[in-house]
This record gives sequence, structure tokens and C-alpha cells, in this order.
Amino acid sequence: MYNLIRFLARYYLFFMFIILEGFCFFLIYQNNKYHQAMYVNMANEANGKVYSSYSGITDYLYLRQYADSLAVENARLHAMLKESKNDTATNKQTQTDTVNKKTEQVYTYIAAKVIRNSVNQTANYLFINRGKNQGITTQMGVISPAGVVGQVVTVTDDYAAVMSLLNKNFKVSAKLKNSNFFGTLAWEGKNTTMAKLREIPKHVKLNVGDTVVTSGYSELFPENVMVGKIKHVKAEPEENFLDIDVTLSTNMNNISYVYVVNDLRKKEIQVLDTVVKKNN
Amino acid sequence: MISRLPINILRFIVLMAVQILIFSNIKFSPFINPYVYPLFLLLLPFETPRWLLLILGFATGLTLDFFLGSLGMHAAACLLLAYVRPLLISVITPKGAEFELEPNIYLQGVAWFGIYCGVATLIHHAFYFIIEGGTFFNIFIALLRIILSTFFSVLFMMIFLFLFTSTKKRRMA
Repeated sequence: MYNLIRFLARYYLFFMFIILEGFCFFLIYQNNKYHQAMYVNMANEANGKVYSSYSGITDYLYLRQYADSLAVENARLHAMLKESKNDTATNKQTQTDTVNKKTEQVYTYIAAKVIRNSVNQTANYLFINRGKNQGITTQMGVISPAGVVGQVVTVTDDYAAVMSLLNKNFKVSAKLKNSNFFGTLAWEGKNTTMAKLREIPKHVKLNVGDTVVTSGYSELFPENVMVGKIKHVKAEPEENFLDIDVTLSTNMNNISYVYVVNDLRKKEIQVLDTVVKKNN
Repeated sequence: MISRLPINILRFIVLMAVQILIFSNIKFSPFINPYVYPLFLLLLPFETPRWLLLILGFATGLTLDFFLGSLGMHAAACLLLAYVRPLLISVITPKGAEFELEPNIYLQGVAWFGIYCGVATLIHHAFYFIIEGGTFFNIFIALLRIILSTFFSVLFMMIFLFLFTSTKKRRMA
């Protein structure tokens, strides 16, 4: 016993090191396993206040860019207005089509400001200044005027943490705009402007520059939200699917304002989902 | 020892603020990720007891983890740095040379300090990036990340040292 105590006393530093290091790895393991839940610790109110006051200062540096991006988006929205479309007689007839008598609101959008953003980790997150009080819940999609940004993973009263598109755990269902073939888009970790589109079969004909948009198969994003453009296509002989590099349309480096997508059908789809699962 | 306390607390706060608000906000490339805050651990007095070093290393890492959301990763890397610091100092210091108080770029010289910071930062970064990337990257990308980030971290550390080391000590030497 005495020898044991002497042994421990002699190497206590090493044991202390091992125990603390063990604790760290326990934290990391927890963090990876429940990477979403662990962000509760991080997206707390105090932390959010620090970052939002800091971003309040740095915002002035980018006012011109913000104004530009808002002007571009306004132009896009103007083009979608009924007044901007050619209102001919045939168009009127289609509008009174019995099937589409009433248009139903499916998505609403909550505007939010990014108060913190990282791009150089392997698991990147953004913080936004909207939370539970403003109607944000987890599992909501986040888009910017330019395209897909990420997905809400943690919410506190006034802030939310968003898993960025540049995160090794983020995947989005995307399709080719002109042929409707769909696959999964995920970040590769090398370049902040590129991602890989997988699971597109080899027989699909596509060109460099083709547009990739969201498929709308998940409740996260509406259909046809811009994702990016094809930059490079490779067909490996031993693979069944194409290897497609996509240039992301959203520049994650200077993102400032985003919209959180609120899917009003979410509850109904979840009910259907549970019924389907029960029947299987 | 006690008189060194305020300056070390101040240094801790400054380095943490600089790291969180500036260096962790530089969005240059996923390959360049400077971490300058280990400088706090590197500049602690020589006679700091090793158990205290470990605790300080752990606390420093955990503080940064709390702000950057990488719970445990920086703590693990800092702990390793704190553990190897005394060994590193004894290895790179010539026999017979006696250093006073705490590491100082004007007292020990730029060469000694460059090696000291370089090796310590490399250990810290290698450990951190391997944990952080996990199996996500292949080994060459991980190596590139480690080497580039270490280079920029050491560069910024040196700038910090030249800016903020008081010249009073230089005259003393």
C-alpha cells in the first residue's frame, strides 16, 4: 500500500495529465455524439450578447455590401410580382383554374442577422439573433438571398445556432434544375466555396454550369432554392455515381442577413411520417 | 511570483479577446487557422509548478472552447502543451544557462524564442487539428492545415511579443 502511494505521489503529474486529458476526450466524444445538443451550452444568452454587440460594431464596415445584396433581392422579388408579369387573357384563364383556385401559404420566412460565423473549422456554425421568442425551432432550414445556408440546431430564448453548409455533418437533398435528378450535397472540407453532389447516376447527361437547386423533399427547404452551379464532373469507372463538384452560390465568408424557413406543413408531414413508420 | 499575477491575468484576457474576436473571425481559408492564445501558457514564469501549469492549461483551453463551441478540443491540446512545456524548455536550453523569472524575447533571444514557440505551437496545433478534423480529411490535407496554421500562429505570436514586451527588461539585460 505504501509503495502504491509512493508510486502515485511520484508520478502524480502524469496521472493528473491523463485524467484531465481523459475528461477532455469525454467532452469531445459527447460533443460529437450529441453535437447538436451540446450547442445549448454555447448558444447561451451571455455568449450571444457578446457576439451581437461585436457584430454591431463590425456591421458598419459592410453596410454597402448589405445594401447591395438587399437591392438585388428586391429586384428579384419585384420580378415575381403579378404586376411584372404579362397579364394576357390566356394567363387569366389559367389563374381561374379550378384546381388552383386558392393558393395556400406553405412557407413563411423569419429574417435574422448573423452575429457570428465561422468557416475554417470542420464543423462550422453560425449564430443568428432570433430564437424561441421569435418562433424559431430546431430543424428549420436557413437560406440567404443567394441560396442555402444551413439548418437550425439549437435555440435559446433570443438566439439560435445554425449548422452551416460548411459542416461535416450537414447534408442537403439537391437536384439538377433541368433534369430533376436528385442527390445529396455535402461539404468536402477543403474549399469554402465548393461542395460535392453525390448519388447522381452515371447515365445522367449534365454540363458544366448547370444549376443545382434544393429538391424540396425535406421539410427544411422549399423546392428550387439555389444551391450552386456545377463546376466539374468526373465519372470514375469503378463507381455507379457521378462525382460532381458544385460551386456554392452563397458566399459563406461574408454572409450577413439570412431567412429562417418556417414550413407550415411540418406538423402534418410529421404525422404522416409516424403513421408510415407505424405501418411498417 | 505574486507581482507577476496582474500582468499574467491581463495577458490572458487580451490574448483571449484577440483570439476570439479577431483570429477566429479571419475567414481566409480552412487551411489557415491561427491560434495565438497558447502564448499565454508559453509566457508563464519558469518556476510555475507543473500541477498549476496543467490546471491553467486545462482552464485556458476550456475557456476558449466555451466561446468557439469546440468543447474539449482546445482543452485537450492546451493540456498537452502544458504538460510538455517544462520538458521542452529543458531540452532546448543549453546546459548551464540560467534563466530568470519568465520567458522574455529580449532576455533569451529571438532564436531561442523562435524554437520554443515554434515547437510548442506545432505540438499544440498538430494535436488540435488531428482531433478537430478526425477522419474527415486525408493525412496530407491535415498536415497542410497543421503546417500553414503553425506558421501563421508563430508569426502573429512574434508580432505580439515585439509589440507588448516592455523595453524596461531589455535595458536590464
